[in-house]
Amino acid sequence: MMIPPYFEFQNAVKLLCGELALERIASELRHLGASRPLVLSDAVLAKIGTLSRVTQAMEAEGCPPADLFTDIPVDSSLLVVNRIAELYRSGHCDSLVAVGGGSVIDTAKGVRLVLSQQAEDILSLAGVENLCRGRHVPFLVVPTTAGTGSECTGAAVIRNDKTQVKMEFISPFVEPDVAVIDPRMTQGLPPRATASTGFDALCHAVEAATCLQANPLSTAYAHAAMELIMQNLEEATRNGSHREARFAMAVASTMAGIAFSNSMVGMVHAVGHALGGVCYVPHAVAMMILLPHVMRYNLSHAGDAYAALLPHLIGYPQAEGVPQAERAEAAISAIGQLRESLASLTGLPLTLSEAGVKEEDLERVAWVAINDGSLIVNPRSADEEQVLAVLKQAM
Amino acid sequence: MVKHALQRLTVAVVLRIVHAALIELRHLDSRVARELERLPDGASYAIHASASGPHLFVVWQDAHLRRVAGLSQAGCAIDIKAMPLAFSLFTGQMGLAQGYARHAFSVAGDVGDVMRLARLISLVEAYLFPKWMTRRILTDVPHTECSPLRVYARLCAGFLTGRYKLYFTETTPAP
Ligand SMILES: [Fe+2]
Repeated sequence: MMIPPYFEFQNAVKLLCGELALERIASELRHLGASRPLVLSDAVLAKIGTLSRVTQAMEAEGCPPADLFTDIPVDSSLLVVNRIAELYRSGHCDSLVAVGGGSVIDTAKGVRLVLSQQAEDILSLAGVENLCRGRHVPFLVVPTTAGTGSECTGAAVIRNDKTQVKMEFISPFVEPDVAVIDPRMTQGLPPRATASTGFDALCHAVEAATCLQANPLSTAYAHAAMELIMQNLEEATRNGSHREARFAMAVASTMAGIAFSNSMVGMVHAVGHALGGVCYVPHAVAMMILLPHVMRYNLSHAGDAYAALLPHLIGYPQAEGVPQAERAEAAISAIGQLRESLASLTGLPLTLSEAGVKEEDLERVAWVAINDGSLIVNPRSADEEQVLAVLKQAM
Repeated sequence: MVKHALQRLTVAVVLRIVHAALIELRHLDSRVARELERLPDGASYAIHASASGPHLFVVWQDAHLRRVAGLSQAGCAIDIKAMPLAFSLFTGQMGLAQGYARHAFSVAGDVGDVMRLARLISLVEAYLFPKWMTRRILTDVPHTECSPLRVYARLCAGFLTGRYKLYFTETTPAP
C-alpha cells in the first residue's frame, strides 16, 4: 500500500449501531444538552411510517420533537436549507435530527452550517475547509438507506437553485455528532433501492481506495466496506427481511462514508453528479451504470490500486489464484458481475439510454462533470472529450 | 527566515508570471482561450500564498483577465495554508490536484471555479515547466500547441516592455 507524503484523517461522529439504536436518541440528545429537536425528513418516509418509528422512540424516551419538517424534496436545494434554518430559529429549537437518505442528510448538514455559522444564506458558506468551528448545534442523523454514507462525511452536496449545479460544502463542521445505524430503518427498502444505494456505497469504497487522496486509514475502511458489500448486497436485495445482511450493508455504507470523507471520490461521482443535474438520473442509478466504464478509463493510471481491491472483492483464497498482472482486470469483472446480478434481480438499468439519457444531453453533462470537484483527485485527469467518450460507452 | 523570505519572493514572482502566461497563452493555445472565454463576466479569483504571503487577485471582465490590487469578496478565494506549500505549488514540486489531496489549501466559493483554474494552471505548467517536472505533478501532461520558447519569448518581451510588472501589485495589464 502506498503511503502518501502527507494525509489527514478525521471522523468525530459517534456511531450507535444495531439493536434498539433508535431508543437511544433521546439519551444522546440529553447528553448533548438538547431538549427541543427539530426533526427533518421527507414526505415518503412520513407516509410509510419510517419517520414515526423514530419520533415514537424519541417520545417514549422523553424527548419528543419540538417540530417536524417533512417537505425535503429528493433533489434538495439551497433555498430549502435557508427555509428550514428560519423554521429552526422561529421555533426556538436547540438541535437537529435528520431521518432520511442522502438528500435529507445533506440538507440537514446545510441547515447545521447556517445555524452554527450564524449565516443568513448557505450560499455564502460554500467551499472546502474554509469555515471556523462556529456555534455548536447538536446534530443527530438516522440514515434510512444503506448507501450514501453521508452520516459520516464532512461534506454536503446541495443544488444551487439558480444554476442547477450541485454545490459542495466541505468542512469537518458538517459532520453530525451522532449517527444512528439501526437495521430497522432499511428493512422496508424495496429491492431496487437496496441494490442501487448499496452499489453507491461500493462506488464510494472503490473510488476512496483508488483516488489521489487515498491514504492507509481511509483505504482500510474502504477495503473492509467492500468485503461487507460483496458478501451481503445480493442477499439484502433478494431478501429484504434478512436482518444480518441489512445490518452488514448499513455498517458497510457507513465505513465507505468514513473512507471517502477522508480521501474523496472521483470521476464516477463527478459524472454522476452531472447526470443528476442535467438529466435527472438518480445518483445511485448513475453510479451503477458508470463504475466499470470509469474503471476502464482509469486503468492505465490506477492498475495497482485496482489490483489491490481484488482480495476484498472476491476473497483472499480466490484472489491468490489470479496472476498479479490480471488482478486489476479481474477486479473490474468482479464488480461487473455483481452489477449484472443486481440488474437481473431488480431490473435496474445498466446503460444511460435505458436510464432515459438522450445523446444530445451528453455534451452538457461532460461540461458540468469537468467542473465537479470530485474530478480533481481522480487517478487520471479528464477533459471534456475524454468524459464524453466514457459517456458514449455507457450509452 | 532567509529561506522563508526567498520562498515568498519566488512565489510573488511566479504568481505574476502565471497571470502573464495566461494572457499570452490565450493567443497561443485554443484550450486556454476557450477556458477563459467561458468564464462568466465578473468571475474573480484571489490566491493567498499563506496568511502573510503574497497574493494574486484577478478578474475576468469585458473579455480580459485583469490583475487588480484587491478584491472585497472574490468569487473564489484559495488560501494556501503555509508558505512552503505555496512554494511547492508554484515551483513545479506539487500539482494543484496533489495540493488538494494533501490539504494544502482551503477554498471559499464554488469548487467548480477551482476546477476551471486547475485546468488553466495545468496548461500553463505544460508550457513553463520541463516535461520531467510536469510528469511528476500531473496525471496526464497536456500537449502543447506551440513551442514553449515562443511563450517564454512573449513573456520576456512583456516584462521588458513593462506590459507586465514583477513587483507592483496594483497593475492592470493591457489585454
Ligand atoms: Fe455516491
